[in-house]
Amino acid sequence: MRIFHRGFRSFRRNYTRNIIVVVLLFVCLTFSMSMLAVKLAADNQMQTIKGTVGNYAEIKLSSAYQMKQFEAERQRTAAERAAEARSMTTAQEQANRVSDLVPATLADEFSKDNHIQTYDEVLETNVTVPGLTNTNMQQLFQLRQGNGEGQGGGGGGRGLGTGGMTQNSFYFAGNTNGASASDFTTGAKKLISGKQFTYEDYKNANPVVVIEKNLASQNSLKVGDTVEAQVSGASGVASTIDLKIIGIYETVQTQQQSQSSSSSVSSFNPAGNEFFAPLSVVQKLNSTPAYVSLGSYYFDSVDNTAALKATFKKDASGTGDKYELATDLSDYQAIADPLLKARNTSVIGLAGALGACAVIILLAMVIIVSNRTRELGILKAIGSTDRQVIGQFAVEILCVCLVAIILAMGATALIGQSLGNWLLPKSTSTSSQQAASQSAPGGFGGAASRFLNQDNLYKNGGRFSFNSASQKQQAAKLNVVYRGSLFLYGILILVGISLVGMAIPVFWIIRLRPARVLSME
Amino acid sequence: MTEQEILSATDVSKTFQVKAGDVTAVDSVSFTAGRGQVTTIVGPSGSGKTTLLYIVGSLEKPETGAIEVAGSNILDPATDLVRYRRKHVGFVFQFFNLIPTLTALENVMLPMDLAGVSPEEQNRRASELLDGMGVSGRLLKARPNKMSGGENQRVAIARALANDPDIILADEPTGNLDTATGRTVIDILSRLAHESDKCVLMVTHDESVLDVSDRAFRMVDGHLNEIRA
Repeated sequence: MRIFHRGFRSFRRNYTRNIIVVVLLFVCLTFSMSMLAVKLAADNQMQTIKGTVGNYAEIKLSSAYQMKQFEAERQRTAAERAAEARSMTTAQEQANRVSDLVPATLADEFSKDNHIQTYDEVLETNVTVPGLTNTNMQQLFQLRQGNGEGQGGGGGGRGLGTGGMTQNSFYFAGNTNGASASDFTTGAKKLISGKQFTYEDYKNANPVVVIEKNLASQNSLKVGDTVEAQVSGASGVASTIDLKIIGIYETVQTQQQSQSSSSSVSSFNPAGNEFFAPLSVVQKLNSTPAYVSLGSYYFDSVDNTAALKATFKKDASGTGDKYELATDLSDYQAIADPLLKARNTSVIGLAGALGACAVIILLAMVIIVSNRTRELGILKAIGSTDRQVIGQFAVEILCVCLVAIILAMGATALIGQSLGNWLLPKSTSTSSQQAASQSAPGGFGGAASRFLNQDNLYKNGGRFSFNSASQKQQAAKLNVVYRGSLFLYGILILVGISLVGMAIPVFWIIRLRPARVLSME
Repeated sequence: MTEQEILSATDVSKTFQVKAGDVTAVDSVSFTAGRGQVTTIVGPSGSGKTTLLYIVGSLEKPETGAIEVAGSNILDPATDLVRYRRKHVGFVFQFFNLIPTLTALENVMLPMDLAGVSPEEQNRRASELLDGMGVSGRLLKARPNKMSGGENQRVAIARALANDPDIILADEPTGNLDTATGRTVIDILSRLAHESDKCVLMVTHDESVLDVSDRAFRMVDGHLNEIRA
């Protein structure tokens, strides 16, 4: 207590030189604390992003394979295609049907990786429902007649292709649990009547289905009714399945079609006439049991992407480049890169500023202690122990650093956000985004190329694309706020700087010989 | 050492190493000093008298010899020198050596504070000592740079007395004062020896001080000779 009193008194009485040291430290500490605040904000933001982006993967047909198939198909004439269709055996038909799908065994095997947290399997296909007319499909046929072939590329998946489809064709999406792996989790679609199909429905292949509200009203369908669906390629008694309607949904948000730019096309909403059914039922309707369009996975962290790629490579060995493991790593990088750059810059700035603080306090103490050598000698001569003198100086230095860091924390609260904004790169665009924005040559091939190379994923049950600049900017925004950790780091810095500052006085006091000092005039 | 003698130095030597070689500042010096006496050591600058004073005050360590204070050898490694400085000696310096950021009162309180005396007792005793030295009123709150040389030296003497030591070690106490003020300071030290039964050991080159000395020594080139018994 007495040491504190003496130290604090000395701090107050030596105010001129202490103020100079406080000001110098304040400048450096403000910079240090601001850089630290930016680093903590960037770390926090990156952790938040990691929770939503970069931890999704899916196994699907590779773009390279699809492109190869597409080019091969383009080389053939219509006559050749017709001839092949006529001469195709049942086995060939089946092989042709599954050639664009992923074996469920591959998807299942991959799901055993320790990093996988949840997974689902999805099969999307067109199914003929003889008793119903797809009004949107009618519009599509009209559109094609008006616009020619230009906008119709990229058949397959959820695109606008109409190959092999009729006005009775409906888009069926099957997965293992209707509630968890559909557009329903994102709010794009909302169940308004009945219930969703469950995992048990999937396991037992219960013939149930959830349909769209407008479709239901146009055809006077309600929960409990049945619709008859055609099994692809089947004939005879087993060629149809009666599907019981267990739920009706409404479309809150139309399906995003990131590749479509034509307003007339974007008003087209095939998702409105989408049927949702258990995966096993859709597989049966498509005559492709044990095959899926994709395996969909959420894993623990983007940091394990490389490990998952290695697992996939092992699991998919022997299949060539037919399948690929697509992740939203590029989306994560697009968002995280500016944050990472800001973080790295702030770390360098923090290190530099702390170094400057150390140099300032060391130089200041050299000057202060050398000017107060006589005082130290007097204190020792009149009966002060080394510990008492060191304690007094420690309190004095602590007071200097405390004032400086309190002021610095206040200043950090004022300028931290501005510094964060300044450090965050202005443009969040990345090479992947630039690549996506570059249009391939126009025409059918160009559109197809864009479709085949798109990075859109089936994340959250819907086609996911994080390519909006505003979305990225929002995600990459640095929110530099005061956190408890910043305060704790501030205390650590205070202690650290004080200890560095104490090095000189401790060394000086222990070595000081009062007789030498007091002999000097 | 007689009952009256509190300080005894026996065969004390101290050598400094400098670039030109070894310099013997104190060469086999022996002397005694008693309570109620002013013992003066005179000699020219560089004769070793200040070194001898610092040895007695435990600020320097001699190579050989013994310093006995109240029957204890302070050069014994077991001796607590900080306690010795607090309880047995008080220093008065030529340049006062007051702490510039402290007031007169605080300077006198400081040795007591270091020794663990309660703040109330510090204040009471410091005021009393300063009053005895003729320093009172506004001067109690004055800092050294606001006081005259004489006032500073009186504060320094009060500080030396703060812990009621047996021995007052005065190093050229008049060296930085005018003649009249110097005489006043010498009178105070003399009074301390004779009225408060202190052992005052003073080193100076001012031979006029010999008038008030009970015992006197002359020091030349590290050798001490008694000139008045």
